[in-house]
Amino acid sequence: MHAFAAEVIHALERVPTDACGALVRKHADGAMAGALLVERGRVCWALSARYPRRLTDVLVAEQDTLTHAQLDEVFAMCHRDHMPLGETLVARGLVSLPVLHRALLRHTCEALDCLLREDASAWSWVNHRGHGYHPLLTFSPTEVLAGVHAIISPTLAARALARLRQVVRPDQAGFAIERNRGAKIPLAQLHCEDVDLVTLADLATHADEVMAVAATVGVQVALAQLGGLACASWAEDNVLFVLLCDGELAFNRLLAQMATMTNKA
Amino acid sequence: MNVLAEICATMDHCLAAAWVDTRTRVVLEQRATRDDAFIAPVLEAVTEAMSSRERPPRMVLLSADHVHIAQRLTRDPHRVLVVICARAANLGLVVAVIRSILDAMEPST
Repeated sequence: MHAFAAEVIHALERVPTDACGALVRKHADGAMAGALLVERGRVCWALSARYPRRLTDVLVAEQDTLTHAQLDEVFAMCHRDHMPLGETLVARGLVSLPVLHRALLRHTCEALDCLLREDASAWSWVNHRGHGYHPLLTFSPTEVLAGVHAIISPTLAARALARLRQVVRPDQAGFAIERNRGAKIPLAQLHCEDVDLVTLADLATHADEVMAVAATVGVQVALAQLGGLACASWAEDNVLFVLLCDGELAFNRLLAQMATMTNKA
Repeated sequence: MNVLAEICATMDHCLAAAWVDTRTRVVLEQRATRDDAFIAPVLEAVTEAMSSRERPPRMVLLSADHVHIAQRLTRDPHRVLVVICARAANLGLVVAVIRSILDAMEPST
């Protein structure tokens, strides 16, 4: 998965930041294997010929008060009147924005996971005209890749996310990666939605290198000042955690937090 | 007084202070308040950590018993001051003192 995901990262990197279109993979016979729809650097939707679930299936799974009949009715109306499905569901009070956001992300990640496994061509970019997705219902590449990773390693990802929820404060961001892997794909993240994948991979590589050296002399936590960002990293089993904090006295605040955390340990 | 000697003499719980060069990985000068075998490998590890591609201006490494503080000299970025203290030290104070010592060594802008 890591090699395939690294290809997606490289493909997304090449997409101009204000572009709107699709990254497409094709089968040898020219048929489309699937696509990743992208607007202004954010992922809107993923399609895979092999992915059987519809968004309505995911919505019903996310919110058990919904029925397929309700959703099919709204879907048919939106299709007929050219209305956006997500916004209409929220406007009619059938789902809340967080539930819709979660369902869309899950559908996109599951479809992308299927697409990554396809025996298909490299990614190619197809430009579209206009922007059609509501920004609140699109996702950063970091969110999507963490979501795909969570499908592949659900137990490890759930544990990492639970740990991040324990330690990441509201003004901080944090992510976890599996160590000893080639590509630095987040296993879980909290408030890192706007950290681009290249920066995140650089931070992960730095943290991994420092912790590998520091661990030889019994160091549990490493804190570094990286530009305007204070960064703390530590390893638990085979998972590396990175905590990010910016603003005034960020380094000192993070140091105090890490000192308390390691005292308790 | 020499900076390293001053740090060792005035900073509570200080075990050692050293100047290292991240380009050559050499310990340029070292003072210790006691002769401990762990100091050499720690200096080596901290130097290695400070030599990473991102070249952080400062780092703090926490272990169960010690805290290792490393700060780069702005006017000579390969030169790093490393201070090793017992964990009992007041971390905020140690970091602030090291910062002020290095600030005093930098040319005023």
